[in-house]
Order: sequence, then structure tokens, then C-alpha cells
Amino acid sequence: MKNFKHAPINWKKETHLLPGYIILLIWVLFTFMLLGWVICASFSTTRDIFTGDALRFPTGLHIENYIKAWNSQNVSVFFTNSLVYAAISCALLILIAAPCAYVLARFTFLGKKAIQNGFVAAMGVPAIMIVLPLFCVISQIGLLSSALSNRVVLVFLYIGINIPYTVIFLVTFFANTSRSYEEAAAIDGCTPIKTFWKIMFPMAQPGIITVTIFNFINIWNEYFLSLIFANSDEMRPVAVGLYSMINSMKYTGDYAGMFAAVVIVFLPTFILYIFLSEKIIGGITAGGVKG
Amino acid sequence: MKKNRGMIVAFVTPALIIFSIIFLYPIIRTILMSFYKIENVTDSMSEWSFSGLANFNKLLTTPLFGTAMWNLFRIWFIGGIIVMSTGLLFAVILTSGIRFKRAFRAIIYMPNIVSAVALATMWLQYVYSPKYGLLKDIFTFLHLDSLASIQWTDTNHKFWALLFAYCFGMVGYHMLIWLSGIERIGVEYFEACTIDGANKFQQFRHITLPLLKGVVKTNITMWSVTSVAFFVWSQLFSMVTTDTTTITPMVYMYMQVFGAGNAMTERNAGLGAAIGVVLSVCVVCIFVLTNKLLKDDDYEI
Repeated sequence: MKNFKHAPINWKKETHLLPGYIILLIWVLFTFMLLGWVICASFSTTRDIFTGDALRFPTGLHIENYIKAWNSQNVSVFFTNSLVYAAISCALLILIAAPCAYVLARFTFLGKKAIQNGFVAAMGVPAIMIVLPLFCVISQIGLLSSALSNRVVLVFLYIGINIPYTVIFLVTFFANTSRSYEEAAAIDGCTPIKTFWKIMFPMAQPGIITVTIFNFINIWNEYFLSLIFANSDEMRPVAVGLYSMINSMKYTGDYAGMFAAVVIVFLPTFILYIFLSEKIIGGITAGGVKG
Repeated sequence: MKKNRGMIVAFVTPALIIFSIIFLYPIIRTILMSFYKIENVTDSMSEWSFSGLANFNKLLTTPLFGTAMWNLFRIWFIGGIIVMSTGLLFAVILTSGIRFKRAFRAIIYMPNIVSAVALATMWLQYVYSPKYGLLKDIFTFLHLDSLASIQWTDTNHKFWALLFAYCFGMVGYHMLIWLSGIERIGVEYFEACTIDGANKFQQFRHITLPLLKGVVKTNITMWSVTSVAFFVWSQLFSMVTTDTTTITPMVYMYMQVFGAGNAMTERNAGLGAAIGVVLSVCVVCIFVLTNKLLKDDDYEI
């Protein structure tokens, strides 16, 4: 690849590809304009935004938009909530899904096919098919009445809806790892369970990291279930919190503050993406989506 | 195998229990609910009253639900055509040997990782803004004043504004699926074609397209599954409940069951369940149909 970059430019070939370049460049430019303007506006003032000066900063950079949004608009609460929910859910998801995926990939047993098909089918089930009974049962038990149990419910839901995808992703991953390690471990007298935790689980790290990135992004951006199950502002994650903030922004008219809040919400997944885009894209095309 | 039985059970059970609680039981109960009249979502089963197909009949005769289904169909069909063709075009350009392929690919996919609420807000408050919006600036710059003065978020244009913004965010994902399909086709096919004197377009028509059948299936399935759950965008583009220009079945269900501040409508959780069943039947039909129409056993890659 490196050599290719230094190869002399074949102008005839590049001219041939020019229409392609133009189409992609327009699209990319538009994306940059969209993000760039929003980031600039978040450092501007509402008045400058309305006079069309958001990109010129006539009154300097206004970092206080962020401070204001973070402190007075509850963004700090939503942000910490999402971070805690996502971290706990991602960790537990791996602890639950990885053993299951390993067993599904390595052993044959009664009902294996049914379990696998069930997981694959579940990936296509719309949230509307599960939300009513869940809401009914959860509120009947009274889990939505206290703050702590409400949070536990949210984490449990995030884990639940991501289990099928995580398991199926890791099944393909384990199926591609060599059996020789387990055979060697068995000869040395290691039990299968110990072999899994000591050898196979650490070996699966690349796959586990990829799927955890996906889970993190999914949970961070999850909206529908959080809207229904998060009872009050103090336990809302960012997506729902941002929505209620935008709603109230209509009355306060603080547009600069709103754009600051938008940037705060999309920044974590965005930064993750800047560093890990190759891994994320590879994960999507590798086998995560099999339809 | 026998000595492994304990391990298999221990490893599968936790995932299976959660799966049953989150998916299996709720799905069965939702299907049951769709045949009952249920005043309140939280009513226990003994309070349900059986009503046969009344919920489905009610849906058929509710104009608002018709609007919601029509909107969803347009999002699925028109949006599908836009997203699939744009995604395919990008995938073909990216595999034609251009430079900076990885950078282009990464940037085009990027909107997919951004929270839908944030993305929709950017479009609503910036791109479509009648005061300082990107579209207004672009059209003013091009001296297309009639286009520049359009209020993109008024009742007449809102739906199309929503559809376009949504498609912008979805193109990247489907482009990646197209890409994975194209990259799996061996280079030797194209080399053989070039030797035989086929041009780029003919190669695309006779080699790339037929060999992409499997990927077409994946694309349509994934598109349908995400379309059915269309909710956030619609809610953000119509923040008042009386505004129905962008209503979708999910939003309608949310209004029905969780009564979004609308005291006038009669609450019936069974109706909400029926909507879920209708949508699921649609997805299954699309899935079966695409599998029937696109049997990919006639080509081997």
C-alpha cells in the first residue's frame, strides 16, 4: 500500500475517474459543512447565529455555551447517566454473550440450531413488538418507582436488546479461531471451562473489542426504550435528554447553547469513530451483518 | 460430549434467560394482546376482554393510522430507492480505483454513528433553517431565489425534508454492504471482461449486478427492519402531537398507548399491539418475497 501512494500519478486514469471524485467530494464537503457549522455555532452566540455570522466569530469564542449547557441544562446528568449505563451494559454483555457464543461455535447439542436462529430472528424484531409487555410487567412489579431500580431496568433492557447481535457476532469470531489451543490445554489436563476463561476468552479480544464498540454506540444512541422507561430527568440518557432540552430551548431561544449540547452528545461516539473507524467499518462488513 | 454438558448448560443459560425475558415472552404476549381490548397497558391479563379482530378492524378504519402507514411506505419505498442507488453509486466509485478510498469511505459512513437526535437537530436547526440555513445560503449563492425562499419545514415540505435528511444518514451503512459485496467478486472476472473488450458500464451491468444478488437481499432486509422502527426522526420533525405530516405507525402507537398529552383519543393498548403485529407481518412478507424473487443459488462466487 505504501509503495502505491508514492507511485507517480497516472493522469489519464485520474481524469477518467474525475466524475467519481467530484460526486464523492460534494458529498464529503456537505458533511463537513454540516458538522463544521454546528461546531462553530456552538462557540458562537445566538445573535451571531441569526445574523449569519456563526463562522466569523465577531465577538470571539464563547466557551461559556458549553459551561452553561453542562451545568444548567442537565447535560452533565444525562452524560454521566449514559456513560454509566453504557459501561456497565457493555461489560455485562460480554460476560454473558461470550460464553454462549463460544459454546454455540464449538459444540453440537440439542437445540443449538434453534437458539442460533432465534438470536438471528431477534435482530429483526422491531421494538414495538416487545415494549408493551415489558412495560406492563416492569411497572406491575413496581420497578419504575425507585430511582435505583429504574436504572437497573434500563441497564437490563440495554443488555437484553443487544444480546442477539453480540452473540451472533462472537459466534462467527470463535468459529474462525483454531482448535489447537484447546487440544493442547486438554492434554495438559485443563478443564474446558478453565480453558475458555484462561485461553479462548483472552484470545477473542479483537472480536470482543469490536463488538463492544458497536454496543457502546448502540446504547449511547438508544432512544425509544429510554424514552418509555426512564421516568425522570435525573436518570435519562443523552438521547432522550437532548430531546427534552431541545423542546425547552424553543422557549428560552438559546440556540448557541443548544448547538453546544448537540456537540456534547455526539462527541463521544464521534471521537471513538475518529480513532477506530477502520475497526468499526471492518466489523460491519466482516460478518456482523448477515441479514 | 457428555463431560461438556455441564459447561454447555452453564454457558448458554444466562443469555437464553435474558433472551426469553426480553424477546420470547414479550413477542408472544404482544401477539395475544392484539386480539384483546385493554384499557391500560399495565392491566393484568384478567382485565383484558377478548375482542377478536376488532383492533385490526379499528386500525383499518382509522384515517390517521392510514396516513401513518402511507408515510411509512413512502419512507421505505422512495427512501429505499434513494439510499440503495446512492449507496451503490458510491460503492462502485470507491472500487473503481480512486485515491483516498479509506478516507472517503470513513467520512460517508460517519453520520451513522451520530445519535439520531443530534443529527436530526442539525438538519432541522441548521440545514433547513429559513434564517441562516445551509440550503438557503447555497441557493442564494447560486441565485436560485425561488428555491432559497422555500420554508423547508412547513407542512408542505416537511415530509420530504425529513425523508432527505434521513436518507443522508443511512447511505453510509448500505454503501458498506454494497462494498463488501463488490469486493468479494474476484478481480479475474473483470480482467477477463476487459480482455474481451467490455467497457466499465457493461462490466457493471453484466458482472457486478448479477453477482450482487445476495447483497441485495441483505440490503433490503436491513433497510426494512430499520424503516419499520422509524420513530425519532418523525418525533423531532413534528414536535406537536397535532402535527401529523410526518406521523409513522410507531409514533401513532406511542400516542395511543403512552398517551402523549392527548386526552381526546381513547386509550387502548391492544390497538398498539395490533400495530406491532401489522408491522411485523410486513417485515416477514418483505423478507419472504425478496427470498423468493432473489434465489442466489444460480451463481457461485
